[in-house]
Parts: sequence; structure tokens; C-alpha cells
Amino acid sequence: MSEKKIENRKSKIEDRRDFFEITTDALDAGAIARRVVPKTCGAIVTLDGFVRQFTKKRETLYLEYEAYEPMALKEMEKLIAQAYEQFEIANVGVVHRLGKMEIGETSVVISVAAPHRRSAFEACEWLIKELKRTVPIWKKEVYRDGETWIEGESQFAVN
Amino acid sequence: MKVQVLFFGATAEATGKREIEVNMENGAKTGDVFQRVIANFPQLQKHTLLFALNQEYSKGNETIKNGDELAIFTAVSGG
Repeated sequence: MSEKKIENRKSKIEDRRDFFEITTDALDAGAIARRVVPKTCGAIVTLDGFVRQFTKKRETLYLEYEAYEPMALKEMEKLIAQAYEQFEIANVGVVHRLGKMEIGETSVVISVAAPHRRSAFEACEWLIKELKRTVPIWKKEVYRDGETWIEGESQFAVN
Repeated sequence: MKVQVLFFGATAEATGKREIEVNMENGAKTGDVFQRVIANFPQLQKHTLLFALNQEYSKGNETIKNGDELAIFTAVSGG
């Protein structure tokens, strides 16, 4: 990575243009996406992740999310830094909601602004994939006939 | 020397605890703490576990200090 890129990335975070947050409030994906609209950008790609009713044929009634909050925020910040190393992007926002969420409610929003759309799509896909792998947040699925904490897949597993 | 061990989600449910305090000898490694906790809560063994030391993923080979914050949790499932 060039020194210039490191400087750019640093200044963005100091300017608080990037954001990464955890909240129990309802999420408005459109509003989150438009919190930052850089003048040099032509596209924002936003992931609006929401609670799915049917997984295969099993019906979910609602979800409950919890997090190891201080570590989750640190991991989100790391992901944003890593995204800048790989993609030509200008701004990233990541917001994850915790607590009980009904079907269709938004649990996570990832918004990436870039001069050109392709980098924004690629970075957004990379960010959600990594978030699901590394950020310490867990969901409990509550079904009509039981409930279970979902356990993901992770390269950090050591046993 | 005392360290704190936190549980979340499935590990909190399995142990019935959110946090415990563990007494360790000087020079102990993170892996020693995790092994002791798993020995005390064998129900954790059926899960794939991840470990953290002071809010960073742990490989189990770090030397712990008094007051460290450790955590034991299952593979993450946010999003």
C-alpha cells in the first residue's frame, strides 16, 4: 500500500465520515445510506439486511441479536480499514441493530460510496461476508417449535 | 492473579452465566484459562468455540495479566 493511501484512509476516519455503530433502535437503510454523499462519488451501494421469515421450510417468528459490543466495534473498524486497502471507495457506513427483531425488520445496514458503482458493489459484498465471519454478534432464531442460537463458520475457531 | 471471562449467546446460555472470575497462577497462558473454564463447564465442549483476550481474537498462547478480560463464544452469526 502506498503512503498516500494510508494518509487518505486516516483522514477519512478522523473526519468521522466513515461510521460503524451498534444500536437497539430501528434502522432506516435509506437514511443511513445518505448520511454521507461525497462530492467525488457517483454511486452508493447499500445492503439492507432484514429478518427472513422462512429458512428452507422452517418458519422464524422473530430474531434476537446480541453482541460483545466493544469488540464488535473494534472488528467493524478493522473491516472498514481493510476495505479501503482493497477497493476504490470513498465512504463506508456499517450499522448493526441488537435486540428483538420482527420479520422484515432491518438488522444490518452497510453502505459504501464510491466514484464508480463497481467498487461499491464489490466492497459492500466483501464487508457483509467478513462481518458475518469476524464481528462478534450472534442471532437467536425463535421458531414456532423452538429456538436456537445460530453458530456461524469462522477461521478463528481453535478447537 | 484474577482474570474475568465473559460469555455471550450460546455460551452464556450453556453456562447460565454472563461472566465469571478465574484465579490463575502467574505466567499462565490464555489457553490455560480457556481449558480450565471448559473443564468447569463441560457442556461448552459441544460447541465450536472462539476466544478473545482484551477484545481481540486470541490464539491461546498469550501470557495473561491480572485484570485481563477474556471471552468465550461460539462462531459469530451477525448480519
